[in-house]
Amino acid sequence: MSALGLHERLGDVRWKYLVSRGLIYLALAVITVVMLYPFYYMGVNAFRSLDQYYAGHGFSLASWHNLFKSLPVGRELLNSTLITVGAIALILAVSTTGGYAFAVLRYPASRLIFLIVIAAMMVPMQSIIAPEYVNLANLGFINHRYGAILVYAALGAPFSTFLMTTYFRRIPEEVIEAALIDGLGYGRVFFLIMLPLAVPAIVTIAVLQFIQVWDDLLVGLLFLQTPDVRPITVGLATIPSQHLLDVPLLMAGSLISALPAVIVYLVFQRYLISGLTMGISK
Amino acid sequence: MDALGAERPAATRRRGARRPRPSDPLAASRRRVGFVFTLPVIGLVGSLLLLPIGQTIYHSFTSWDGTSSRWVGASTYSHLVHNPEFTRVLENNAMLVLAIPVAIALPLGVAFLIHAGLRGWRFFRSIFFLPTAVSWVVIGFVSVRFFADDGILQHLLNNTGLGFVHPNMLSQERSALVAVMITFVWSMFGTNLIIFLAGMATIDQEIYDAARVDGAGSFAVLVKITIPLLRRFIRFTFIVTLITAFTALFSLIFVMTGGGPGYGTTTLEFFIYEQAFSAGDFGLASTAGVMLFVAVAAVSVLQLRLLRVEE
Repeated sequence: MSALGLHERLGDVRWKYLVSRGLIYLALAVITVVMLYPFYYMGVNAFRSLDQYYAGHGFSLASWHNLFKSLPVGRELLNSTLITVGAIALILAVSTTGGYAFAVLRYPASRLIFLIVIAAMMVPMQSIIAPEYVNLANLGFINHRYGAILVYAALGAPFSTFLMTTYFRRIPEEVIEAALIDGLGYGRVFFLIMLPLAVPAIVTIAVLQFIQVWDDLLVGLLFLQTPDVRPITVGLATIPSQHLLDVPLLMAGSLISALPAVIVYLVFQRYLISGLTMGISK
Repeated sequence: MDALGAERPAATRRRGARRPRPSDPLAASRRRVGFVFTLPVIGLVGSLLLLPIGQTIYHSFTSWDGTSSRWVGASTYSHLVHNPEFTRVLENNAMLVLAIPVAIALPLGVAFLIHAGLRGWRFFRSIFFLPTAVSWVVIGFVSVRFFADDGILQHLLNNTGLGFVHPNMLSQERSALVAVMITFVWSMFGTNLIIFLAGMATIDQEIYDAARVDGAGSFAVLVKITIPLLRRFIRFTFIVTLITAFTALFSLIFVMTGGGPGYGTTTLEFFIYEQAFSAGDFGLASTAGVMLFVAVAAVSVLQLRLLRVEE
């Protein structure tokens, strides 16, 4: 084989490599456009008046003015925030204590109880809406934010408890034994040692649940029907029909309701991904 | 699933060391504190998930309007199954299942491209995963603008000389469901991509190198090496995608089509909501609720068993 032939063949391989790389990036660019275009559409049309929307160019803040004037958006965003924060706090309270007990403190039947709690993950909200509604109505919990907070917390608790239990099992027994020898009780071991060690898992749960609760419609739709307590998703989904053709107003509402969860996602992406893949990693 | 499997024997051995002395005050305290610490999660899950699913099962055999209920028996189920509207609902769910292979194959292929040591893969991953953070309500609003008769899709067709085609997808029963399915595939893309990327990270690079040395092309590597080694992850995405399709599309359908036109996009979960809160038939909603629960539970248990078998 002559030196020239080898050189030509190397050039050929390199050429093939460049072409395949180029095609891959082209495919990814196309998918990027498909994935981002809806966000672009939302962002652009949220800043147009109705006339500008039909014309397809120009910018104005008219839609934002309309949005805040005709819908209680500020109130609804506040409700969404209170409900989301309340649900996350409750989920963290029950999943850290439960996870610690299931992983470390184990008592007779605790394994069975753990399995029952985890099995509750299989209960879809839609399957229980009728009795859940009747039960909460009998307690007078409808149209109170705490009613929805309780339901969200119950829906988020099984997976979060599973995640915390898995996490606490990985903490070496020696850490706990050392603390016990130092005279700490099991309660103080939890607050002084386990909780600080569990911060990454706690952040993961908080981020997953933030997106879950902030974005949910069904629970709010059922249990928070009055304008003074309903979250932003319910406000948008039940928008009076005279606004339904006002695309800029809809896009402004969509944008402001999507923004908090998108920001949380962008900042805490790493935790979200680790939470999602937690279920399968061995 | 390592919480349930691999790590347990070691943990039991270590913690079992203190078992022989039941009178040990520390062990007694451990059990007492342990019980108290699990009470909150037991109370919450028990009262708001387990009790209501029990009630759903009971009321699935009754005629119930929310206040008074009357025992009917198993005939509620045969009534429901013979209801032609309900047959349509089950058909719609079957259609959703058809979207799943697409919702898996697309991200699997792209994960394969990205994983091939591509510069900037984190950037693409972030972008493709973005829809996961956005609510179905918002996705639904934009999706309506895409598929509407005067929407983005029609503009695209007009601008490419295909203006004579008027899909107007949301106005017919079948095409409206296809529009919902396309939106669903779009929003699941990132989630499944993340799972496949995590899976591919577990594959030893040397296997790929060996295959390349043997002269295998990219496609052969994908089919003969990557897909078999990712079997567990593919099955996991199948379960996640199926459960999402059956239990998480309520808001999307509510905003996009309201279950219509006709019963065109009324899936099982949407049917339950409508029966309970539009028709006021809580008994029928419970009967359909049990069916949804059984479907989800069956799929989940199957997944668990398959995992066990593999280990």
